[in-house]
Amino acid sequence: MTKTAIHVDHIARVEGHGNVHVVIEDGVVKTVEMNVVEPARLFESMVRGRSYREVSYISSRICGICSASHVVTDLKAIERIFGVEVTPRTRALRELLVYGSYLQNHATHLFVLAAPDFVGQVSVFPLAETNPELFEQALGLKALGNELCTKVGGRSIHPITAVVGGFTHEISAQEYLELAEKMDAAGAFAAAAVDLFHGFTVPDIATAGDMLAMVEPDYYPVECSNTARFLEAGIEFDANDVEKHLEEYDVPHSAALLARVRDTGTPFFTGALARVNASWEHLGQKAKMAAAKAGLRPPEKNPFMNNVAQAVELVDALDRCAGICRALAEPGAIEGGSEPVSFEVRAGRGVGFTEAPRGALFHDLELDDEGNVVHASIMTPTAQNVANLEADMRLLAEKLVAEGAEEDAIRQEIEKLVRAYDPCLSCSVH
Amino acid sequence: MTNTSGQCIACQDMPKTPRVVVVGLASCFGCQLQITNAEAHLMEMLGQIDLRYWQLTSSDPMPEDFDVAVIEGAITTEEAEATVRQVRERAATVITVGACATTAGIPGMAAAGFIERPAQVYEHVPAACGEMIAPRPVQAVIDVDFEVRTCPVDTLDFVDVLQRALYGSNKAVPTRTMCGDCKRNETCCFFGKGELCLGLVTRAGCGARCVNLGRPCNGCRGLSPDANLPSAREACERYGVSVADFDRALEMFNQVNPALQASE
Repeated sequence: MTKTAIHVDHIARVEGHGNVHVVIEDGVVKTVEMNVVEPARLFESMVRGRSYREVSYISSRICGICSASHVVTDLKAIERIFGVEVTPRTRALRELLVYGSYLQNHATHLFVLAAPDFVGQVSVFPLAETNPELFEQALGLKALGNELCTKVGGRSIHPITAVVGGFTHEISAQEYLELAEKMDAAGAFAAAAVDLFHGFTVPDIATAGDMLAMVEPDYYPVECSNTARFLEAGIEFDANDVEKHLEEYDVPHSAALLARVRDTGTPFFTGALARVNASWEHLGQKAKMAAAKAGLRPPEKNPFMNNVAQAVELVDALDRCAGICRALAEPGAIEGGSEPVSFEVRAGRGVGFTEAPRGALFHDLELDDEGNVVHASIMTPTAQNVANLEADMRLLAEKLVAEGAEEDAIRQEIEKLVRAYDPCLSCSVH
Repeated sequence: MTNTSGQCIACQDMPKTPRVVVVGLASCFGCQLQITNAEAHLMEMLGQIDLRYWQLTSSDPMPEDFDVAVIEGAITTEEAEATVRQVRERAATVITVGACATTAGIPGMAAAGFIERPAQVYEHVPAACGEMIAPRPVQAVIDVDFEVRTCPVDTLDFVDVLQRALYGSNKAVPTRTMCGDCKRNETCCFFGKGELCLGLVTRAGCGARCVNLGRPCNGCRGLSPDANLPSAREACERYGVSVADFDRALEMFNQVNPALQASE
């Protein structure tokens, strides 16, 4: 019997701590495990008893990259409970905040974490020496994401200004216009990033799992909708019913809870690729062209194409945010102010839902009549993705074994797949 | 101090480039990201050190030998506690970055009633969680030479502390409370509006960033050693702010601070 055991302890260039275990016996893939060993911080327990005023401030600390998404998701949950209707201006600012984290996340993931895989390097730093222009532009794009979050949220990580009902601070019209110009200027590099990632050779596999994304008629939504859809099963549901459709379960090898579609029992993928599949026709013109050129059209089921989908979203985000910034700079173009609207605290349960950079994010909150948290359940995109990642790792390993690939090559391709998922393991164990 | 040919004046040797490792424990990774946010300065900063290990950005394994360890995150498992002890044995200098590492930060909130918490999250606690222990800051386990506070750290604060660790400095680290900063910034006080703000007892140094943007201080730099808690509680009463709310709010970043527990 020949037995090959592939262990990658502490997989590098992903956010958080995880190990990969793959066992192949006589050409048969026996075991595939994504071992998430990130320390549990127990946020769902920690927020119990805390006031609605604090909860977004606390849960923001789940993740340094998608902190803006955690804040907006919590605020949406609380506002659903209190029955708060925020102004279109506040919604526009929240969309900017979420997109700021897309720019940060996608630029960091694509260039710092993923790209070294495709140019045969262990880190991004040799790239800085061999291709300083690319390195500088990539960092510039990430810096623009930071700037957007800082201008809107007050800080690049863990936004300060976003509160229940609105924002505590806003920048000047001039600053919005300057941001819009910077977005325009970065567009060409984002389009080039789509071509770059399209140019990298990736294994040809198709995920057998479902895909989950936020949907909205006539729009590419990241925070404005409460409706989610499983694309394969064709199940559409309101975020308040997430528990009826999305099943979380624990396994010994992962500190993150895994997830599957409750009705079909299948694992699923959530993230840029699922969003592009769900809302391809609502991408902006520039992004749609870049996607078409890169051969990214729905239904695209190769998880490696998540890299290309993220690059397409960079093009879309820059275009969209430039438009939003210009509208915010023009008096009356977006209705209402951003100062927090008044509301009354009341008991209830509500689910906040946003598309975080890495996929669907749900915060299910129950508050008592003083606005203190009674119960919280937080479903992060990476936790939702772990089961599908394991299934895809198996597919990939089987394909490579059948092709007679060496152990090292299998290990490398599996690591690449993990990074293509852009996991945030620290988020997944919250 | 070096001479014109770059040699150390005292020992006549060429100075060695310090070997640095970055270690991440229980955290949101935000402070490590803030370090990468030194975009413009990043390569210059890296040019002054020999970065031996940074899991976030490279697949190289952690080395046996290094001079400086940068630690982010709180200690929440026995494994993490063993890691920091090992790091302390190997490193000449240990720098903690962020609230999690310096005060146990937000993860530290779980320290109260810790024993019951895992069951509130998991039906069966996975083996992958390791041997969980009540969260604690790095300095509760080992000696720490330098710290960078705030949640998340300010990028230039980190550069400043790294510089002090590498080249030395006699700059005094402020311990005063933040309240005075708002006076200097000429921003209005939340207490006047009957709203709670932790600037009253929190260590200064962030420039009152949140208050400047219309949000009260949540205390992320940790309790100031100069804080007068009984007097702060009296001030709350004077302004009609709930003392119970004040004490609860302090738990967010100071749950495991002995000064807080002693004052109750």
